[in-house]
Amino acid sequence: MAVLTFLYLLGPLFVIVAASFSDTGYLTFPPQGLSLRWYRAALADARYLNGFFVSLKLGGTVAALSLLIGTAAAVALTRFSFPGRAFIEALFLSPLVLPGLVLAVALTLFFAANPVVPPGMPRLIVSHLLVGVPLVLRVMLPVLRRVDRSIEEAAQNLGASPFLAFILVTLPFLRPGLFAALALAFIFSFDEVEMALFLGSARDAPLTVVLYGAAQMQMDPTVAAVSSLLILLALLMMVAQQLYAQR
Amino acid sequence: MNSTGSAELVLDGLARRYGSTTAVARVDLAVAPGELVALLGPSGCGKTTTLRMVAGFVEPSEGRILLRGRDITTLPPHRRDAGMVFQSYALFPHLTVAENIAFGLQRRGVPKPEVAERVARMVALLQLQGLEKRLPRQLSGGQQQRVAVGRALVINPAVVLLDEPFSNLDALLREGTRIELRRLQTELGLTTLFVTHDQAEAMAISDRIAVMNKGRLEQLGTPREVYDRPATRFVASFIGRANLFTATDGRHSEDGIALDIPGPGTWLLRPERIAMDGAPASGPNGAPTDGPNSATGIVEVVCFLGTGAQAVLRLPGGRALLVEGPAALADLKPGRSATVRWTRADLTLIPGDT
Repeated sequence: MAVLTFLYLLGPLFVIVAASFSDTGYLTFPPQGLSLRWYRAALADARYLNGFFVSLKLGGTVAALSLLIGTAAAVALTRFSFPGRAFIEALFLSPLVLPGLVLAVALTLFFAANPVVPPGMPRLIVSHLLVGVPLVLRVMLPVLRRVDRSIEEAAQNLGASPFLAFILVTLPFLRPGLFAALALAFIFSFDEVEMALFLGSARDAPLTVVLYGAAQMQMDPTVAAVSSLLILLALLMMVAQQLYAQR
Repeated sequence: MNSTGSAELVLDGLARRYGSTTAVARVDLAVAPGELVALLGPSGCGKTTTLRMVAGFVEPSEGRILLRGRDITTLPPHRRDAGMVFQSYALFPHLTVAENIAFGLQRRGVPKPEVAERVARMVALLQLQGLEKRLPRQLSGGQQQRVAVGRALVINPAVVLLDEPFSNLDALLREGTRIELRRLQTELGLTTLFVTHDQAEAMAISDRIAVMNKGRLEQLGTPREVYDRPATRFVASFIGRANLFTATDGRHSEDGIALDIPGPGTWLLRPERIAMDGAPASGPNGAPTDGPNSATGIVEVVCFLGTGAQAVLRLPGGRALLVEGPAALADLKPGRSATVRWTRADLTLIPGDT
């Protein structure tokens, strides 16, 4: 049963990875021949390379900003009590339950009527924050609720200023959560397609948009090679996070 | 007790209000150097709020706190010279035992070799040898408690604050630990403020007890004083067990028990001061005759306590009289009648009661 589940979950990935090594000029499974030429082609293709760096910049910015805003919001929601706190918390988390396409269309209409953010990368970053911040909040709220305030008090009692107490005692406790939240926001932004399609510019297209275009236009094994590289990247990040969490 | 000159810690009219509710109402208290004073009372009496005001975590609405003659009322917690042991211990989960104990010394900029030396001395003093490199979660409850104590004592604070430090230990460990802590406190001459809701604990290890109720300090005195001469009805019933009689004259309690007392008021009769006869005293017709300072009733419950026994006697007026005596008391059969007596000297007038 476990093997079946495993195959079901990971089967498509195997197909893509296997197809990427095919020696044929078209996408096929099972692969025929064995070649790395599509990897060479992918890495030589300026569109993919550019798309990768755009996605990296986008994901990095969205992850960093989401972490900052989401953690600050989580601190406020867990440490201070103010009227309407539960409502604000629900409001903050609501973008998570909306389909990406709905958000993308709504944002396109909104920005068409109110061009408050310049188009292209800035607009895409602001749009991704709409999901990135709730993701961080989702991770950090329970983590912050588990912080024992008396530990911070103990640190102050022993001579640490409130700021130093937070750095020395609370932060180490939050670190695994912060790391997970950062990774989650990055992966979301890096993998996101709908908003990137609707709101991104053609010149600065993220990797997902480039891939989407390529899959529609040519469908050669380069697409599979790029996808495999992305899978490898995701795998590396997951392993890194596991290693970090088990430390 | 307002001789603030020689006192180490002085609470001067200390009060804390939250909106219209008063958590602590103008408490005056002076703790002498090397003295252990317990803040004793039921939950919500303001004892923890008082302690947290001394530590700096709660801002007083009124009054002053003096530590070694210095006014620390408005100082932030990290600038006060107080070492606190938290009820939850609040050990730093990511630091080892040695690092937990060293934390306060490092904040004070103590040089490294001296930190190591003082930590080692504290580890030895608290018998934590071999556990220095463990994390708090790898320790037993008793060991965690000792680390919490060590962490607070190693900085040589002007005052030690203990917030229910024994409440998370099981009964057997609790008694041994509190004797150990008392020994340490006496040996090191630590000025200590100790919050507890457990009257037996407070009596066992305190030099003086401050009994608090509803935010007010009801009585301040040695354990003997508060036990033998409670100032109020609350103190009498909170510390030890009490039979209380309200008398409007010098002959009877309100519920009809014949007393031989100097006058009206509320009178305290401790259960261990009552003597129980083997058999009821018999009058001419075999009927019980109750003179003053004696009573006859039906034995309702007996419990054997090991060192002695307790019995509850239901008197004709409806009162349940608690009696404590030798273990033989436990042999009484519930349902039979028994007569008890006491002397005039066993009754104590409670002055603060009208």
